[in-house]
Order: sequence, then C-alpha cells, then structure tokens
Amino acid sequence: MAVNESLRVLRTTHYDEQHYSLFLSAGSIGGVTAPGHFAMIQAGEGLRPYLRRAFSIADVTTVAGVPALEFVVRVAGVGTAALARFAEGTPLPVLGPLGVPFPIDDLLPADRVALVAGGIGLAPLVLLARTLAARGIAADLFYGGRNEQDILKRADFERFLGPHRCRYATDDGSLGRRGLVTELFTHALAGGARYRRVYACGPVPMFRALARLLADAGLEGSFAMESEMACGFGVCLGCVVPTADGRFATICREGPCVPPTFIDWTRL
Amino acid sequence: MAVDLSTAFGRLRLKNPIGTASGTFGYGLEFSSYLDLAALGAISVKGLSRRPCHGNPPPRICETDAGMLNAIGLQNVGVDAFLEDKLPELARLGATVIANVWGDTEDDYVAVVERIGADRRVAAIEVNVSCPNVVKGGMIFGNNPDALGALVKKIRAATRHPLVVKLSPNVTDVVASARAAVDAGADALSLINTLLGLAIDLERREPKIGFTTGGLSGPAIRPVALRMVWEVRKALPKIPIFGMGGIETVEHVVEFLLAGANAVQVGTANFRDPSLAGRLVEELRVWCADHAVTRVSDLVGTLRTRPRPDHLFS
Repeated sequence: MAVNESLRVLRTTHYDEQHYSLFLSAGSIGGVTAPGHFAMIQAGEGLRPYLRRAFSIADVTTVAGVPALEFVVRVAGVGTAALARFAEGTPLPVLGPLGVPFPIDDLLPADRVALVAGGIGLAPLVLLARTLAARGIAADLFYGGRNEQDILKRADFERFLGPHRCRYATDDGSLGRRGLVTELFTHALAGGARYRRVYACGPVPMFRALARLLADAGLEGSFAMESEMACGFGVCLGCVVPTADGRFATICREGPCVPPTFIDWTRL
Repeated sequence: MAVDLSTAFGRLRLKNPIGTASGTFGYGLEFSSYLDLAALGAISVKGLSRRPCHGNPPPRICETDAGMLNAIGLQNVGVDAFLEDKLPELARLGATVIANVWGDTEDDYVAVVERIGADRRVAAIEVNVSCPNVVKGGMIFGNNPDALGALVKKIRAATRHPLVVKLSPNVTDVVASARAAVDAGADALSLINTLLGLAIDLERREPKIGFTTGGLSGPAIRPVALRMVWEVRKALPKIPIFGMGGIETVEHVVEFLLAGANAVQVGTANFRDPSLAGRLVEELRVWCADHAVTRVSDLVGTLRTRPRPDHLFS
C-alpha cells in the first residue's frame, strides 16, 4: 500500500546539465519498494510545477548511512528542472511506492534474464539489477544512449551484474557498439543468448522494436512504461495506453510494468 | 470553541461542507488509505454511464500554468459495475455518496438514474451536463437552457433522489442555465465544471491533447468559479450550491462559502495530494474557531460587495 509522506532531500548528484540523481530519505516507502515501483514527487509548494511528477524508484540505498530512495532524472521540463534545485534537508511530498512492479518472484536461481535500457530508461533497472544480484540470478544488461555521457550508473550495474554482463550501445559509438540498443540485443540473440524474461525500460520506439523482437524469438518480457500522469494512483485516468484487448488501461495502476503483449502497439 | 460544521443542503444534511468533485476522486475507494471517506461531507464519484465507457485515446492530459487540461472522455466502469463492485464498499466505509451521471441522450441519462433507483446508499444524484470532452453528451445540454430544462425534467420524473445539476461555465449567462435547471426540478446546483481550453506543443505544431481541446481545471480557474457561484447565489438565494474550481486550501473553501456556496467540492487538488480533502475538514474547523465562527453555515453568502457605480463619466 502506498504512503503519502514528506521525505527530505539528502543529496542531489549532477552527472551533467541534463541528468542528476536525487536522493530522498527513504521514509516508510523504502521498506516496501520493489523493482519497477514508482513514486509521485511534488517539486515544492508553488503552482509551477503544479502537479506531482512520476519517477521510477531507481534504487533503495543509503546516503552517509541514512536509508535513501534514489531517483535518476533527465531534465525534460518544468518539474524535472525544479526538482534539481532543492537544498539538502528540504521536505518534499512523496506518494509511493506505486504501481505493479517487475515480476521477479517466479525466477529460479538457474534462470538467466536480460535488462534492456534506453536513455533515461535505466532508472527502474538499477534496483532490479541489485535485487537480482542479491538473489543470485544472472542478468545481462543491454543499455543504449546517444553517447557515453548518456550512460548513467555504469559502475553500479557493473558491480551488481559483473562487468562482462554489461553491454552498451551509443549513437556515436563513444561507448560500446555504435547503433541502437535493440541492435545490440538482436546481436546477442543471434549469438544464441536465451532469456527466461526480458525486462526493459526506454522510449516508445525502443519498446516497439523490442516487442517485435521478443514476439519473433518467443521470449517473455516486462516493460516499465512511462506516461504523463496527474495522480499516480488510478483516478485521473490521464496516463492510459491502448491495450491488446481493446481498452485503455492506466499505466499507473495496471502498470507501469506490463508484458509487451498487453499493449496494442498499432494504436500507441 | 466548538464549531458546528454540519451543512443543510436541501434535503441532505452533510457532516461538513467539504466534498470531492466528480472525475477527480475515482470511485472514492482509491482514496481510502489516504483519508477517512466517512469524514467528508460528500464524495461525488466518476461520471457513470448506462454502459462502460472506454474514453478518449491518449494523450489525455497536460499540465498548464496553475492547473491542467484534460480530455479523458468520461471513461468509467458503467453504472452496473459501480453499484455491484464499488457502492457496497463505499457504504461500508460510511461515505456520503453522490452518483454523478451522464449520457449521450436524454434516454441514456434516465436509464442510469433508473438503474440507481431508490438505492439508499446513494445520497444524491449529480447530473453532468457540462463535460467538454465528448463529441456528443453533456455539453449539448449544458450550453442550451431549453435543452437543459427538458433533460432535467425527464430525470426529475425518473428519480426521488435529491437532484444536483452540475453546470457548465462555458456559457455567456450561467444564471440562465441555473434557472433552467431549477425550474425543471433540480434540488441543487454544482458549479463549475471545467473551462474549455487548448494547449499547444510548439515543436510538433500539434495540440498537447489528442482530443485537441480539453477542460481546464485547478487554481487557474478559481476566480471564474467564484464569480459564477456569486452570480447564481444572487439570482437564486435559496438554492443549495456546491462550489468548486481550484480549491487547494481552507482559505479557498471559505472564499466559496462567502461567495454563496453551501458546500464545496475539492477537485484537481486531489491528484496533487490525495489526503487533502480530509485535512481541509479539520483546517476548516480551526479556521472557524480562529475567526469566532460557531456555525460554518453562517458564512454562506456573506460576501460584502460595494455598490457599483451606474455611470463612469461625469
């Protein structure tokens, strides 16, 4: 059950002008967060931004020994810009954890899974990588961005999964293979890699291509979807996606983690 | 100081004047872990239709300055599912439930109201004649006092529940709508619904919302809402009014009461803070005590206005 509480800013780590990690005190949200959960954060008391913003809970960690939630953020507008500027100690209203997390409880120690991230889509995969590592489940990371700067939290992924299991793709070739992350993943499948499940988060074109790849290969997937949302708990009905069974489903309540077969990609 | 928050609202007696607005409060149950539903004056649930409704394709919402635009398209589970799956739990939790209803045609409205029948777990029916986000439906009635009167008359004949008509602000003369509804048998009025708006994505040169236009809500619309409540209160001194539009704080609640609302409905702010409505009940009690107001109903319609000059040139 989600909690509506006030969490303190513990630290803001800026990677570059576009990306930062926001660490908030974990409150009672930290203890009940699973990989794939998200939270709604109010960036201050003012009217700009007006609504809370939805962010994947990237990690449940500590900052100088204090239990913390980490959010990895790309500056995309008023809300994400405002959230970068709070001083340490500032209380922020947070609602979480929300949504349906990644399905992981059915994984067995012998299973091998893949994590596919595009751009800021790395966010929900950090805690997933940490959790899988703790359970001894082998996971391969495929992570794509425009350039090396776009690839965040690399040290964490490599620590959790092992450096040899982390593969990168960049548009300019500055890190890993030049090209799209889906090409990287296709290459791995062509090389004989097989996965019990493929966990992914990224932009819609990546999801679309990956959904096709998984269908062709007969692989199961779980996609952490993103959408603009006003509430985060199923009442504004603003964040819907068209579903394969002809409905509109809320990403916040029926997702954010859904199988690719849940979505009608032709209408998205 | 003991403060009496109870609110006479036509045939209804509300525990307090803090309600929640349809379309911003789901079916109420989604909020049960963030506030005590029984502590609210009334909750108005998502607009119910004769059959389940899928709503509009996304994108459906966007933030605007001090508010948001939406074109959900009245997605809802339908009146049958509401009565079977939601209402029993709402009743168990002690919520005062207002069933908001809508349809494409007069017959659709009547069908929903007849389905609710004499169910005592529903305290009142709120008629949505003001949704700007469907091609047919609501607004056809909301923008035309004659059509509105005819619709309300038919619904009135179909139910003995207290009938609240939720008016559209997208009219030149809201008093004409109010009179038409009351003359046709409405027991009370809700105002306002969202204001029709447009938000633009410059780079794509497209509307930000798939439906092109959407309903504007949030603090941005509060002055418009207050003005309309005040106008209707002046014209119709006795009619119970739910005032709504951009309520975020207890001060905003009191503004609406002064303008003439007997009770209010918190709307878009429920998205921003799901615990807010419950907190406002307690804050209203404190506000009244601090201002030596022993009965909240004493505030209603007590706005002191100055006489307007009848000419501006000498």
